[in-house]
Formats: sequence, structure tokens, C-alpha cells
Amino acid sequence: MSRKQDKLAQQVLGDRKLNKKSLGARMWNCRGYYLMFLPVFIFVLIIYYWPMLGIRYAFFSYKLRDIHWVGFENFKTLFSTSEFWRAFVNTLQLSITKLLLNTFAAVLVSVFINEMANLLMKKTVQTVIYLPHFMSYAVVAAIFTLFLSPSSTGFVNETLKSWGLIDRSIDFLHNKGMWRPIFYLINMWKETGWGTVIFLATLSGINPELYEAADIDGATRLQKVRYITFPALGNTIIVVLILNLAKVLNMFEPVFVLYNSRVYEVSDVISTYIYRKTFLTAIPDYGYSTAVGLFKSVVGATLMLLCNEASKKVRGRGIM
Amino acid sequence: MKKKLVSAVIAASMVAGLLAGCGSTGADTAAPAAGDAGATKESAAASGDAAAASGDFQLDNVNIIVDGTLTATVDSGQAEFVQQWEAAVSEKLGHPITLNITQLDHSDYSGTVSRTLTTGAPGEEGYPDALIMSATMLRQYQTTGLLWNLSDAYDNAEFQSRIIYPEVNQNLKTADGAQYGFSPTYGNGCVTYLKQSWLDKEGKTVDDIKTFNDYYELLKKYSDGKTYGVIAAGYGKLDEAPFINYMPEWWQGAYPSFYEKDGTWVDGFTEQATIDALARLHQGYVDGIIDPDTEEAGTKQAREKFFSNDQSTSEFAFTYWAGQWLRNLTDNMSKNEVDDDLGDKRLVQLPPVQEIKDTWGGYLNREAPVWVITDDGDGDNTREQAIFDALFDTMLDGDKVQTLWTYGAEDVHWSVKAETFTTNADDPDKKKDYEYADGEFHLKQSPNDPDTIWKKNHLDPVLVIAPLTNGYTDNDPLVQEGNKFFLANCVDAPAAASSETLTANNEDLTTEKTTLMNKAVVGEITPEEAVQTYIDDFGDISATIIEELNAQSAAQ
Repeated sequence: MSRKQDKLAQQVLGDRKLNKKSLGARMWNCRGYYLMFLPVFIFVLIIYYWPMLGIRYAFFSYKLRDIHWVGFENFKTLFSTSEFWRAFVNTLQLSITKLLLNTFAAVLVSVFINEMANLLMKKTVQTVIYLPHFMSYAVVAAIFTLFLSPSSTGFVNETLKSWGLIDRSIDFLHNKGMWRPIFYLINMWKETGWGTVIFLATLSGINPELYEAADIDGATRLQKVRYITFPALGNTIIVVLILNLAKVLNMFEPVFVLYNSRVYEVSDVISTYIYRKTFLTAIPDYGYSTAVGLFKSVVGATLMLLCNEASKKVRGRGIM
Repeated sequence: MKKKLVSAVIAASMVAGLLAGCGSTGADTAAPAAGDAGATKESAAASGDAAAASGDFQLDNVNIIVDGTLTATVDSGQAEFVQQWEAAVSEKLGHPITLNITQLDHSDYSGTVSRTLTTGAPGEEGYPDALIMSATMLRQYQTTGLLWNLSDAYDNAEFQSRIIYPEVNQNLKTADGAQYGFSPTYGNGCVTYLKQSWLDKEGKTVDDIKTFNDYYELLKKYSDGKTYGVIAAGYGKLDEAPFINYMPEWWQGAYPSFYEKDGTWVDGFTEQATIDALARLHQGYVDGIIDPDTEEAGTKQAREKFFSNDQSTSEFAFTYWAGQWLRNLTDNMSKNEVDDDLGDKRLVQLPPVQEIKDTWGGYLNREAPVWVITDDGDGDNTREQAIFDALFDTMLDGDKVQTLWTYGAEDVHWSVKAETFTTNADDPDKKKDYEYADGEFHLKQSPNDPDTIWKKNHLDPVLVIAPLTNGYTDNDPLVQEGNKFFLANCVDAPAAASSETLTANNEDLTTEKTTLMNKAVVGEITPEEAVQTYIDDFGDISATIIEELNAQSAAQ
């Protein structure tokens, strides 16, 4: 028990003596509960911590069955590889931009939905915009690849051509300048609806008396949104951002299904880089792949701790 | 007390359950290997080695990993194939032997093989005794110590006296005479197929196409933004030798990889021929002749678009594998009701254009895929020799076992019994009756598609290095025509390069070259810039590889 907790306990208990029994004694007292917890504990150890022993391979060269110690050599190679740094920067840029755009879009759509008076319409819109979330990224990518294809089967190009807006097809997904905007749009299309769930829940909790008071004061609809709705969402927005910020390095599937070698410069992220080094190399060095993964985990854990601190400051409690 | 007792019992049962789950081995839960006919077989751990007794090795079990070239898949009579193989080989060896087949997804074959060989060890479940590798994979693995040097076994094999293409396996020998792969067939290659109906529309014949320019001008006529002149699986397939064989007219004499030229190794990607090829491809792209889907298309997507039932978005020309694929493409067009009036004349094969003849001499015959045996590293060759005898020596026995590998299982894929059957019985236009007399060899209906006739199993009867001696031949004239055409118009592709630095950097080199090629074709950069960027980024590595390759040649 920390000193702060001790002090608090003293205030609550007054003169009554604190339980100063040793940890072992306290555990013995609750042995029934600990015994029940034991299977879970063993399960966690085996499923979550046993595989972590593989981290040691970051310090080995591991090609086929030839495994030997190389110390920090894999990390030296990693830090001197421009491809890796490109992937690292791309990961941060893509993840953070995606997070901000998706959150912004979800807030906006939530407010619009909240303003809808027709309940049937409101529920219909909600259902329709939730649907893309339940499609796998592979399906989404297949749809948009066909949709944006530069060949004669591509709907967008053929439509633009038939309207006389372009002469030649635009290769959207192979164009460095267009790949990221399209990536963000596809992600917004897929995830905005689902992202509104938490904001709509917050909006439903706003005291209606605030709106009534605003009506009495003669506030317009826009003013009510500006001075009541948005401020009410502020805390939730920050919480959503903080919770998701901790996961920014875990980006694989949305990129993997849409990227190609011509846009690696703007699309390659750490996870896809690890994937290529591990699964697309004829005889991969698993030691190197593990080193990249370990670095990513360390940065991810640091971000998580920072977010935890930020959460404590904003919400009064951490995320862990 | 009662609560504590209950909690103790619950906890104990949960721990027991958990530990029981952990304790169960893969052998307990793993599904039987493909082709096992559902029977539970001995663990692969017993793979051969366990049977060693007093110096005489008896191989009881052989585990193989194969790709999609074994067409008798689980859905297409693999169980019967295995059953008949086991019976025939057991009889030959004089003791029972079982065959366990693991058939991997063709598209990620090399990756899965790599992971299998990394995580397993000889004798462990799932670890192969023998497996198929491409020529490139063989070059990468033959220096790792994982493969057995089968040189002596090959030289002393029973089929030696019947070999008609000895050079196929001679070419696999390393500088020091070791041989880590065995190829039962020669490589085959690709030829360009043109749609006859499209030619007819323009009043042209294949004889009108002599040069690249003739070809290009004709392709242009079919390229209107809806239809295209040509499609392929990539502008160049730079991860698979011989790299240029899906678009040979465009690459002509270029070879965008390491190859031996006049006795010296060079990096073909840095040559002027590659710049010229990229310029041709770029022009084809700009003129709308090459379907833009080519960049991302895999072979399946490319060929499906070619024989699609929607010919209004299809292509005129497609370069693909010779021989059997002439039949496959024709059948698929038939299935999609494309040019039904032309029957087996739907496609016409384009002889190599003059520029190909002037450089390579013809279409490239790739280096053959090989079978390899894994070495258990115990210094004793008896296990490996037994695998060779049971698997490879029988594969070319000229009779029963070779027929199994060539055509599949008797009375499942082929038969010599009198019978009649009908394909497409419900479609009067396509309905076809077949009638065979007793003793007449014939292929049967495909087990997974009764409307088509079975084609072949793993070995192509025309490409095999030691032909069947039992007289069983598939007389499909279209396949014969395809093979004859290819043989008349092919030359051997350059031998694949292999060096330590190349193996270590192959993936990076391939990715870089593919990216630069694609950028040059679509005009993001010029062909010259593509080659210069490659030299800037990988020039040092390329020079090291060339140095290593030339040193190897000098040592030979």
C-alpha cells in the first residue's frame, strides 16, 4: 500500500488499526480466490508471456536452421536502413492522419444524426453507415480496386471518360499523389459509421434542459450545436483520441490490401515492411524481422505510457 | 469450508483441462495428410529412420510437399492416386510403404516451404522427405546444407538407360559435380496465343506477323480503351526465371537479371537492351495496347480476363505456357461460350517475331522445376538413398508408377477398360460422346468436373526425360500441336544465377527492379532513369554478385 493510500486509510479508519498482515498471510486468507485465479494466471503465462521468449531472436541471425548470436547487429542494420525509417515515418503519418480524420468525420456525422427529428430516418441512416464496418478489409479493397481500376472495367474512370472530364484513365491506386487521400477516404467510408456509436451515446446523455434553456434564450439551431453539443462532446473526443493514439503503430491490414510497390514511398508501414521481410523473402532472416518487431513494440509501449499519463490528466484515471 | 472445497475442485479441474490442452501434441490433433484416404497413418516422426535395422534401411513412410503441378488434388482423386502408388511401390520394394502428400497453395509455395524447412527438422511431423522446388529455389537452397547431394543416386538410377534428355539434369550439377535436384521433365515455356476470331475481323492471318512492328500495329487495331491488344501477369515477372517469358515480344533480347553472356556474368537490368525494352513497354502502355491490369494481375486473373465471357473488355493476345495450356485455354473459352463456331481453332500460336529470333533464337525454355531430398545431416546416406529409390527411381519406371505420375490413378483418371460416357450431356451444342474399346488407353472424365476430360497428373508425357514404355499416350491433337510448336520454336533460357550475396539480397533487388520497371512503363520515370536509379541504389551489390558469379565460373 502506498503512502498516499495509507494516509487516506488513516483518515477513513481513524484510530482503528490498519491491516498490517504480510502479503503471504493475506494471500493465505484469500487462498480460495487465488486458487480460482490460478488457471487464468497459468493461461495468461502460457498464451501471452511464453511466446514473448521469442524476443531473444532479435539478437540472433536466424536463417533456416542456422541460428547464431549476433548481438545488436540486427538493430544496427535496422537503424541504417532507409526503407525502415521510411516505413516508420509513414506509419505515424498515416495512422495519426487517419485517426484525426475518422474522429472528425464521426463527430460531424454524429451531430447530424442527433439533429434528425425523424426517428425512422435516424435509425435507417445509422444502420446504413454502420454496415461498411462489418466488411473485411480484403473485400473493401477488392471493391475499390475494381471501382478505381484504370482498365475498361473501372467504374470511376469510365464514368469520368464518358462525361468528357478525362481522356486517359487515372491510375488512382498506383499514383503516389493520390494514394494517401484515397486511403483516408476508404477508411473514413468504412469506419466513420461505427465511430459514431460512442459520440451518439454521449449526445444522448446531454441534459435536454440545456437545449430548452437555450430555446428560451432564443438560440438558433446552429448556436445550440456550437455552444451545447460540441462542448459536451469535447471530453469524449479527447478520450477517443488518446485511446487510439496508443495503437497508432498497429497498422497493417488497411495498408496491406491497398498498397503496391509503386507507392511504397508513401504507403509502406512498419507492419507491411516486417511482412515483406519475413514472408516474401526466399530465405528470410527471422532475427532481423524480430528486431524490427521488437523496436515497434518498444515505441508502441512508450506511446501507451504517454497516453496513460495523458488520460490520467484529462479523465482523472488512466487507460491501464 | 464448503465454498473453499468447491473452489478447489473447480480450480483443479480447470488447471487439469488447461494442462491437458497444452499437453496434446500436434500429432493428436493434426488432420491426416492429404491423400491419406482418411486412414490414420503412423506419425511422420517414424519417417523411415525408425526402421533402420542392422545396416539395412527400410523406408516405411515418405512425406512429400508438392505444389499445384500435382493435378490429382484432394478433390480430384488424390486418395486413389496415393493408394495405387503405395500398392505399386510396395510391390517393387518388397515391403509396405506409405505416401503422405502435403499440397501447398501454389501462389505462396516458396514462402511456405521456407517456413516449413525453418521450423521443422527431419523426422518431425510435417517435415518433408522430398519436395518440389523451382530452379531458382534450388539455387538458393543447394548451399544451405538442407538438401541431399543425389548425384550418385541419379547416376546409378534404373531409368538412366531410357533417358532421352540427359542435359536437363546435367545442367543441375554444381561446379564440384554435386547435384541437389532431380528433374523428371524439361522445363517448358510460354508462347503467344492470338484469338483467331479477332484476326478474322481484321482479315489477317498469323503469317502476316513477322516482326515486332507487324505485331504492334495489329495490336493497335484492337485497342480502343475497352478492349486491349495484350494482357500478361506483370510487364515482366522479375521474381521468377526466365523473367521475360510472359511478354517476350516486348523484352526481345533483354534479360533483366544476372546471366552469363559470352562466358562472363552480367547484370542484364543495367544493359541497353533493358532500357529499349522498357521504352517499348512504355509506348505500348501509352498507346493503350497493354491492358493496364497487367501491372497487378496474377496469372489467374490475366488468363481469366483473356477467356472471359465478356469479350468486350478482353484482349487479343496472351502469352502463356505451351502444350497443355493450349488445350486448357481453348476449353475455358469453350466453357465461356467464346467463339464456339471455331471449336479447337479458337487460338492460334504466334511464331517468335524476328527480333526474338535474332536475339535469343526463339521462345525461352525455362529451367525445369526439380524434386529434392532433404538431408538429415547424420552423414549416413541410407535414408536419403531409400527415398530416392522409392520416390524418384519409380517415378520414371516407364510403367505403372510413371503412369500414375503422368496420368493419375487407373479407373479414376484413366482406364483401359471398354466404356462409353458423355460430357456436357445437358447442353446439346457441347454434348460429346466418347466410346472406347477394351484395352484402349483413354483419359476419363475429370473427377471434379464430369463435363471435361482429365488431362494429366504431375508429369507431362511430352516433356518427360524418360518416356513411358507401356504405350499409354494421350492423343489430344491440340496438346500435341502445342508441344510440337514449342519444341520447334524454343531455346534454353539462361541458367539461373546463384551466389551468397544474391541470395541475401534477391528480394530487395526484385522489389526495386519491379518498382522501377512499373514506373518506367507508366511514364513516371524514363527507362534511363529507372536503370540509373537501380545502379545508384544497388550498383555495389550488383557488382559483388557479378564478381562472385564470375569467380564461380572461373573455378569450374
